[in-house]
Amino acid sequence: MADLASAARVRHRPELSQDIINKIQPVTLAGQRIMPVPEVLAPLFPWGGLQRGTSLGVAGHGAWTLSLALMAEALGEEGWLAVVGVPDLGLAAAADLGVRLDRVLLVETPSLDQWPTVVAALLEAVDVVAVAPSARIGPRDARRLQARAREQESMLLHLDGGRTWPNGLDLTLSTEVDRWEGLGEGHGHLTGRRVSISAAGRRGAGGGSSVEVWLPGPDGRLAAAPKEADVLEFRPLRESVNRESPVSEKADSQEVVGQSV
Amino acid sequence: MCVVWCPDWPVVAWGVPLDEPAIVVVGNRVVASSPAARAEGVALGQRRREAQGRCPDVAVLERDIDREARLFEPVAVALEGITPRVEIAGPGLVGFPTLGPSKFFGGDHDLSLKVVEDVAPVLAGRGHIRVGIADGVFAARLAARSTAARTGPIVVTTGESAEFLSGVAITALEQPELTGVLARLGLTTLGAFAALNPADVVGRFGAEGQLAHRLARGEDEHPPDLRRPAPDMAVTWMFEPAAEQIDRCAFAAKALADELHAMLSSDGLACVRVAIEAETDAGEEHVRLWRHEGALSAAALAERARWQLDAWLGSIARRALITSAATSSDEMENATSGSGIRRLTLVPDEVVPAVGRQLGFWGGRAERADDVTRVVARIQGLMGPEAVQVPERRGGRGPAEQIVLIPAAAVDLGEERIATAAEWVSEPWPGRMPKPEPVQVRFDPLPIELMDDARRPVTVSGRGELSASPALVEGSVPSGRTKQRWITGWAGPWPAEERWWDPVSVRRRARMQVTLNDGSAHLLVLEEGAWSIEATY
Repeated sequence: MADLASAARVRHRPELSQDIINKIQPVTLAGQRIMPVPEVLAPLFPWGGLQRGTSLGVAGHGAWTLSLALMAEALGEEGWLAVVGVPDLGLAAAADLGVRLDRVLLVETPSLDQWPTVVAALLEAVDVVAVAPSARIGPRDARRLQARAREQESMLLHLDGGRTWPNGLDLTLSTEVDRWEGLGEGHGHLTGRRVSISAAGRRGAGGGSSVEVWLPGPDGRLAAAPKEADVLEFRPLRESVNRESPVSEKADSQEVVGQSV
Repeated sequence: MCVVWCPDWPVVAWGVPLDEPAIVVVGNRVVASSPAARAEGVALGQRRREAQGRCPDVAVLERDIDREARLFEPVAVALEGITPRVEIAGPGLVGFPTLGPSKFFGGDHDLSLKVVEDVAPVLAGRGHIRVGIADGVFAARLAARSTAARTGPIVVTTGESAEFLSGVAITALEQPELTGVLARLGLTTLGAFAALNPADVVGRFGAEGQLAHRLARGEDEHPPDLRRPAPDMAVTWMFEPAAEQIDRCAFAAKALADELHAMLSSDGLACVRVAIEAETDAGEEHVRLWRHEGALSAAALAERARWQLDAWLGSIARRALITSAATSSDEMENATSGSGIRRLTLVPDEVVPAVGRQLGFWGGRAERADDVTRVVARIQGLMGPEAVQVPERRGGRGPAEQIVLIPAAAVDLGEERIATAAEWVSEPWPGRMPKPEPVQVRFDPLPIELMDDARRPVTVSGRGELSASPALVEGSVPSGRTKQRWITGWAGPWPAEERWWDPVSVRRRARMQVTLNDGSAHLLVLEEGAWSIEATY
């Protein structure tokens, strides 16, 4: 009997030497500090989810849609989101993507000297503070805010991809629009967008991994993009015209007519 | 205690005659209906569509509780001719103690007739009135609601309330969770429940059960040995200059309610009846009592103060009308009009020991909301009261019209906010853009040029037809340079003519969706001959 019992124990819990256990035992369990992300996006995140206390940036067309879809999953029913100085954010879209509107605060654009104070105050109470500062943030303020986020286990979300942030972000997600569905030449309406998302970050986070998704998909939310051959519901209505940009504009691909998104 | 009940008040307040089918809905559910609608099979709690299915020509009205409170004020004013201690329990339901008035008017029965006589002219045939007199509020309310009250006032003789109640169904307590259990235990009437030993009821059902048991026995909700609050519990707000708009009053009401609630709860008290006092800048004073069976939370206090102020502000504005309606009242004629409210005071008129509000199982939600509320207050201190806003849904066609922002100070962040739920907007808005919604809605639309292959401007004819296929979008970016993008797909134009009935505010617009060769997709809008980017997907 004794043999059987010890055999069972061995099978369930392989023995580790005590010093290895000490080394890998975290102070706070990592699982408590991770906010969930939609399953299809998990490969982009080094810890399988959003780690509290870190900074995240999003860049490219569709980046705001991506961040709202992320927030819907990460915040769930109870998490709070504060948006500072982004009066243009489409809240109807946020709600359709699954963000709870009764957990959203919108803060007017603070003056530059108040900006760090306001963001620091919010980091104390809400889970995620989304920002897009209109001017560059000083390195001291940036360090202080990052420390505050770490200490309060909240997150800074840079809707401008961290352009105005002096330091590198822990993780940046970049979107590239593959194509829009539903719009022909003079008929139809926008229904879905196929996007590829790649991650890059400090200390090799992300590791250049990338995923393809529908953002938004047929039901207006984030959806996994099946391999092109399996796609049934999204056939282009008509081949889209593919013309090069006018020559004068070719050099400048950063700025676009519909700025930033 | 005498209770005056105006049945179907939400319908009456909309001014719909009760013999026409009408329903009042909140978030797609029927919360009130006219007798004519009920005759067709409409019931409370039904979905709007189901109600419309049973009664196709039913008028559907959105609930407007502010309006209900405002229009109920004349009823309270009419009762003030009988007694000064009028207590409003909610729009449509009002009560007053009968001891003095009953002696004055020669008995309960004569008093009840006097009430009908005074109130009926105010309603002017738009609604009915039911009157019940009994020992306690609860019994009086049930008397007013009983079917017999349709033909005339019901008077339950002193000391016979318990007997009157004993035959009433247990569901009259209106506490579904409690009465569900009681019914399963075989206690289907109030009398059967009242016969239980009070100690056993408290042991099994706690404070809530104790309260229900007192009601079932025909006693008042709270024992008579209530502590009267100290006079310094009153909280006052001075308006400088006098407030004429309800939104300023609403801010003050919220602040006062929070203050009062904090003071009371630090003493372990909760308020069940509050006196709302206001003084106009002409020096006239208004007082009204509001009562709540449970205890008034800070949000509930603020809400009642706001309703009352709204009613008073309305009555100040329509002074002439009201003086002619309130025929007998000398008081009203003396009340020369002030144009606004100068002072607002909340006085806790009746308090009881607080039994505590049940927090969520983990207690986390309420705490978090408190943290958020505190930070919001701090930011408002830094940047001004309007700096932090919260979204609410509204109906509308354009992407910018579907969500409105309201100051965070005007709502209770810890409470469920129904106006943020998807069901809040039930009407399908014709002419609304198909989903998905744009993720960036420009506060100031960005002007652009829309051109065809030959770089001629694209225009829309009066019949909503494009002059040519659009091919190119040109606009200036903030840096001041001009940018051009090829159009890879487009649809529209969809005309949107708003407020066509009003020659001043009429807006004629046309919208188009385009995708550009950089992968972006936009919603373009044409207004007065100029194209701009309204939103981006």
